[in-house]
Amino acid sequence: MSYVFFPGCSLDGTAKDFHRSTLAVAAKLGLEMPELKDWICCGSTAAHSTDPLLADALPAKSLANAGGATVAVACASCYSRLKMANHHIAADTAVRARVARVVGSDYDGLTPVRHLLEILCREIGLARIAQSIRRPLAGLKVACYYGCLLTRPPEITNFDDAENPTLMDRLMETAGATPLEWPHKTECCGASYSITDASIVLELSNQILAMAKAAGADCIATACPLCQLNLDMRQKDIEARFGRQYQLPVFYFTQLLGLAMGCPAEELSLGSLVVEPQELLAAKGIGG
Amino acid sequence: MSGRIAATIEIEDVGGMAGEVNARGGARPMSCLQCAKCSSGCPVASRADLKPHEVVRMVQLDQREAVLASRFIWECTSCQTCSTRCPQQVDPAAMNDVLRAMSRAARKVSAGTAVPAFNDIFLNAVRRRGRIYEMGLMVRFKLRTRRLFEDVGKAPMMLLKGKLPLFGTRIAGRAGRKAMFRRAAQGGGQ
Repeated sequence: MSYVFFPGCSLDGTAKDFHRSTLAVAAKLGLEMPELKDWICCGSTAAHSTDPLLADALPAKSLANAGGATVAVACASCYSRLKMANHHIAADTAVRARVARVVGSDYDGLTPVRHLLEILCREIGLARIAQSIRRPLAGLKVACYYGCLLTRPPEITNFDDAENPTLMDRLMETAGATPLEWPHKTECCGASYSITDASIVLELSNQILAMAKAAGADCIATACPLCQLNLDMRQKDIEARFGRQYQLPVFYFTQLLGLAMGCPAEELSLGSLVVEPQELLAAKGIGG
Repeated sequence: MSGRIAATIEIEDVGGMAGEVNARGGARPMSCLQCAKCSSGCPVASRADLKPHEVVRMVQLDQREAVLASRFIWECTSCQTCSTRCPQQVDPAAMNDVLRAMSRAARKVSAGTAVPAFNDIFLNAVRRRGRIYEMGLMVRFKLRTRRLFEDVGKAPMMLLKGKLPLFGTRIAGRAGRKAMFRRAAQGGGQ
């Protein structure tokens, strides 16, 4: 299968570390993933809560450029918007015609869209990943956090079980870590309210951090730029607001996988994490 | 949503607010049985002025003013938990997108929410540049909403962590995108 990569806007900014670690992991696996030509913003929540037609047209414009390849996505929000647009356009000829008039060319809604977790776990396969593990993450207890938009709505994303997804858990297990059973895998972090009303994010992200801590996690693994930012960059504010002490590093799953594959810390941009992971990694004898 | 057993009630074509909401987003509000499963899983139900099952009921009862002026529709995080768990295939998340647009069109937006301003700045940036440059977005949003000092301490730290590049990317085709946005605003008509 051939892939083109849709990084999404955050991966060129606040989630640069997700971008770099994704490319580092792909290189280790020999996974070729050139960037999708002339991709534009998926429109995110701003588009779907303003104009449903624009929300389908923006992804359609990018997806039409894939040239038969599968579009690989890292950001959970982009993934959701691209899949949602495909669903609307492929299922309804009237929507397809309206989108075609807006974009200026017809798109059938059939370009396959996959999240990196699906590609790694299902298409490359855990057996092959296991062969590329050089430094297993032994003794590292990871709370795998999926957030909202990978699994929901399940009829459209078709990602994994909507209430208890396990793709990331299995990947972390393959990397030698110990994924934890915990109940907040798919609770909402507050998403883009980080900008418009941070009090929502502080409250919701606090519940996620508290539950991960209670489950005995050493760290959290994420698959979404906004989830990572809310749990990591706002962790100090959350601790101050609620009088708690978490000190939980919040990695992208690609950073942990990259460490297990023996990638150097710089290639994985571990220095971009706000809650610094060095002490934890040294204590577990990982990386370094 | 497909693949589930639901006591489907085919009375969506009822006119009024419920009919309008269904026609614009396929959210099927009339199929709601008020089990409140949506509100049990809603991350913002405990803080908002309404809960999702209450909003659906009010839409059924044509309580247009109260729904469109509610704070809830601007506090919903679009997490899709309600739509995923509904046993009646109602889609409150899609309904909420329609309600936001109706609220803006009717000039009923709840005072105090910055979400519409944020959405406008976001979409305007997509139209002009093709992609979002996060730092530029934040600066514009803060100027517009006069929240200059909120989170201001985060910027130096984020620069240091390499999370805020100093310049964003611009994608060619600005005229084409402007035309695309204009056609979308006109509903995709010829």
